[in-house]
Formats: sequence, structure tokens, C-alpha cells
Amino acid sequence: MTRNDPIKHFFIWPALLIVLLISIFPLVYSLTTSFMSMRLVPPTPARFVGFGNYIDLLQNPRFWHVAGTTTLIAFISVGLQYVIGLSVALALNSRVPGEGIFRVSFLLPMLVAPVAVALIARQVLNPTMGPLNELMTALGFPNLPFLTQTSWALGSIIAVEVWQWTPFVILMLLAGLQTLPDDVYEAAALENATPWQQFRDITFPMLLPISVAVVFIRLIESYKIIDTVFVMTGGGPGISTETLTLFAYQEGFKKFNLGYTSALSFLFLIVITVIGLVYLAILKPYLEKHK
Amino acid sequence: MSVRTLKGKRRWLALGGCLVWLAITFFPLYWVLITSFKTPIAVVGGPTYLPFVDFEPSLTAWSELLSGQRGQFFNTFLASTIIGLSASIAATFIGAMAAYALVRFTFRFRLLSALIFVAIAFGGFLVGRHVLGYGQGISLIYAFVAALALAVISSRFRLPGPELGNNDIVFWFVSQRMFPPIVAAFALYLMYTEMGKLGFKLVDSYIGLTFAYIAFSLPIVIWLMRDFFEALPVEVEEAAMVDNVPSWRIFFGIVLPMSKPGLIATFMITLAFVWNEFLFALFLTNSKWQTLPILVAGQNSQRGDEWWAISAAALVAIIPMMVMAGLLSRLMRSGLLLGAIK
Repeated sequence: MTRNDPIKHFFIWPALLIVLLISIFPLVYSLTTSFMSMRLVPPTPARFVGFGNYIDLLQNPRFWHVAGTTTLIAFISVGLQYVIGLSVALALNSRVPGEGIFRVSFLLPMLVAPVAVALIARQVLNPTMGPLNELMTALGFPNLPFLTQTSWALGSIIAVEVWQWTPFVILMLLAGLQTLPDDVYEAAALENATPWQQFRDITFPMLLPISVAVVFIRLIESYKIIDTVFVMTGGGPGISTETLTLFAYQEGFKKFNLGYTSALSFLFLIVITVIGLVYLAILKPYLEKHK
Repeated sequence: MSVRTLKGKRRWLALGGCLVWLAITFFPLYWVLITSFKTPIAVVGGPTYLPFVDFEPSLTAWSELLSGQRGQFFNTFLASTIIGLSASIAATFIGAMAAYALVRFTFRFRLLSALIFVAIAFGGFLVGRHVLGYGQGISLIYAFVAALALAVISSRFRLPGPELGNNDIVFWFVSQRMFPPIVAAFALYLMYTEMGKLGFKLVDSYIGLTFAYIAFSLPIVIWLMRDFFEALPVEVEEAAMVDNVPSWRIFFGIVLPMSKPGLIATFMITLAFVWNEFLFALFLTNSKWQTLPILVAGQNSQRGDEWWAISAAALVAIIPMMVMAGLLSRLMRSGLLLGAIK
């Protein structure tokens, strides 16, 4: 039910104008820049190079490495977030004692500035002053190089991502669980379905649409990660934990290589779009089956 | 008692799991809190866990922070607060208007008009820059105005091609959120620099950063508020229309007051996003309008292992959002937020 009234323009244009000005127009600018060779330091005049920047990037092993690292962090951390988030949401939805307190306190990490989270993580993971290494030593492990060795550093970043963003998954899935109708479960109880059967045949399929949406949002957001990595490892050791956004920042703001950075950010955009489309294409049949 | 309530052993297992996750959630927050009350010696001496038992709490870090020995904390806090509040209020308001329009009014335009906009924007910029020899800033402005004008004029005519409607506009808004912010942040920095050459100072200014935040909060505001407005009963508005109340009064006098819970929730979500945002602040500010995340991130490289000071700094960024979380949870308990996140 919609109506027609000239005043609608007055309602929509402020938002439209701001978004066009601030987010579309820079795109026009940077897309044209991405086809040029342009540097600020040392200043070089703009020169049209066609796909030169893109070809350079695609031949640069560092780009592939960085894209791989980002993908690894995004997929593993979102997978863990979903598994933990779903378990916690299921527990909360089945009225564990003290559910009210859990429900509020579980949301806290989401609201902490990622930069602050990374600083806390650095303290907790500190080799000599941090509590985690003391615990590890007490359990008989050697002093672990949490932030200075590639695999441990990646693991630490993933752990921090999981800590911070599982609350979002809990929040969304819990909202989804609460909309499921009770009568299906009553029927299942009459048929003596085991809890596992109920989960597999009722809860999970009915929750699938919201699950797909949550994982999609988290995946796209995870690809943009910079602040946590920036503070925790600075991309190190070497470039082993560098992510796409951090790489673009280094190229753009440290080297002022404008054309190259613009090309990089567009490749990044293409990567995200492709991943999003493939993800949705894979899951579409399942979504339609359970409609 | 619902059928889904767990019984017996399973219930305790679920409780155990929740308690473990609660401990994981709280330990880092607890750790940063106690560290901010430790003396430098207590921090370097290895981990200690309980105030008054393991170590004597001291206010060193906090008094240093508040007396200004640790950089411009007060100014930064003020800048963060001003930008955060004004950007989220403006975004909530502008976004709510757009969301309402998209729910209640009909929008129709041809795909061709949108394509005209994109083509003129690109072409105009290139022509202005390379053929007519204008500066980048000027070409951008001319191209933008020309593209917008031609797109609007062209939508008056009956153009061929597929027709787009409200859902397409919503999709376009929401898809802005998919863009990696680095694409926009970097380009915005360059564009702001160009504007600076024309005499409008936008880098490291209140207007520049606030507008960037409004634009990047709008997609989520429109998304949340659209769901909210769709759930409102349309009958009240129809009754008002029968009485010939103009649309703008229906919106400001009836719809906005009715959707207060949704507006508050959306405002808070936006505020949390703006308050914690890092990348735009990193690119678009350098001193005067620097926000807290940038200052806090800088603590790390400037101070090495001075964890007592760093913890206090991190807490300054954390605590306001925790207070807000308390308020938000009150809203959640009264069930007001459910509509907004569905």
C-alpha cells in the first residue's frame, strides 16, 4: 500500500544526495584514478596506463598473499562465530537458569571499540606480563609466541574476531529462534522426536534464512578487517598477517601511490562481490527447498 | 513452560557452556579494568589477578590521564562525542525520512536514468579534467551537478528499458554497506584534499568527518527503520489523511512519535558504529578532530609496554558504550527492539 504525493521527494532527497556525494562520487574519482599512474611522493604527473595498475597488482605475489590471509581470517572466524553463536543462542532460547543476565552481558564485546579490543588482546597475550602465557606455562606448555610467529598470530587475530563478533551472531539467531512457532515442537514432542532430531529437522532448517543472512553480513564485514590487525600485529611478522585493507592503507598512505591504491581497492570490491554472489548462489537451492 | 525448554542433565550442560562463554567474555574486560589500577611496578612484575590480594590498586594511570600528561585526551573525547552524537542524530533523522518515504510512497524511474547519471558523472569528470583542463575538484563538482540534473530531467520522459521501484532503491542503499570502506575512505581523502585546494577545508574538519559518517550510517538506518515503519499500522495514517492532514505533519506528528523505540535503538546502533569507527578517522583527520580510536591505537606504538596507561586510555573509549549497552538492554527487555532486528 503506497501512495503518491510530491512531498516524497522532500523525504528522500537528503539521504539520496548525501549518499551520492559521499559514497558514489569518490568511486567515480577513484575508478578513473585506477587507470592512471599517479604518485604524490615524489610528485609525478598523472599518466594514463589503462589496466597497467591492475596487471601489476595481479602479478604481485604480495597481493595474492594478502588476499589469501584475509580469506583465511574471514572464513575461519565466521565459521567459529556461527558454531559458537548458534550453540549459545540455542541454550539461551531453551531458558537456561540466569538467561536474562547472559543475554545482556553476552552483547558487551560487540560494543567495545575494535582498537581497544586489540590493545587488551596484546596485554593478555603478552609473553611475560600476560595472564594467558602464565596459564600455558602452568599447564606445562612452553612460552608461546602469540603475536610474533605467523600461525600463532593468525590464530590470535581469529580468536579476537570471534570474541568480538560472536555476540552479533547470538543476537540475530536468538531473534530468529524466538519467531519459530511452538506448535511444530509440540507435534515433534508427541512423535517422541529426540532433541537431536528436533534440531536437525526443525530448528536448523527453519533458521536457515536468518543463518544465511547473518553469515553473509559477517563474512563481508570480516573482509574489511583492519583495526584489530593494525594494532595487534601491524601486519607482522613480516607481512604474514597483513589484510587487504591494511595493504591498501600502506600503499596509499605510506607510499602515496594513488593509482595503484585505487586499483587495489577496486580489485578488493570485485573480490567481495564475487564471494557474495557465489555464496548466495550456492545457498539459494537450500533456501528455496525449505520455504 | 514451553516445549523447547531443556530438562535434566541437558539443562545443566547448557548452563555450563553459557558460564564458560561468560567467563571468556568477561575476562578481557576485567583484565583491562584491573590493569588500569595497577602501578607500573605491579604490571612489569608479571600477571596478578585480584586487587588488594595480589596487588595494591593505585590511581596513577587515571590521574596522569585526567591531568593531561598523556596527550590531548579531553579534546579528543570531546571531538568523539560531538561527532558521534551529531552524526548519529542526523543519520537517524535523514534515514528515517527516507525509509518512511520508501515504505509509504511510490517511486518509479527507469534504469536508463540511473545509467545516464553514471555515464555523465564519469564522462563529465574526464572531459572536465582532460579536455577542458579544469582542476580535479572543479571537474568533480561540474560533473556531479550535470549528471544529477540530466538524470532528474530524463526521468520526466518516457524512457525505454526496465522500470525500477522502491525495492530497488532500498537495495541500492543497503548495498552501499557492502563496499569495502577503504575504497571510499581513500577516495574521499583525495576528494577532500581537492576541495581543500578550492578553499573548503574538509580534511581534519568537523563537517568532513561528520558527513562521511552520516553517509556510511544511512544504509543501516534505512534498513532498520524500513522494517520498523512497515510494522506500524497504516490505519492511523489513513484516518489522518481522511482529515486532510498534510503528509509532513503525519510524519512528524504521528509516525515519528509512534516509532520512538525504533528510533532510539537505531540511534544507539549508529552511535556505537560511529564511536568505534577507525578507518575513516584514520584517513580524514590528523590532529584537531581526531577521534578516540585513533588516539587509543596510537598509545600502542608511543608507549610500548606501559599497560597501566594504555588500559586507562582504552577504558575511556569503552565505558561510554558500556553505559549505552545498559540502556539498550533495558529497551531489549521491554521487547521494543525485537521489531528492529527481525
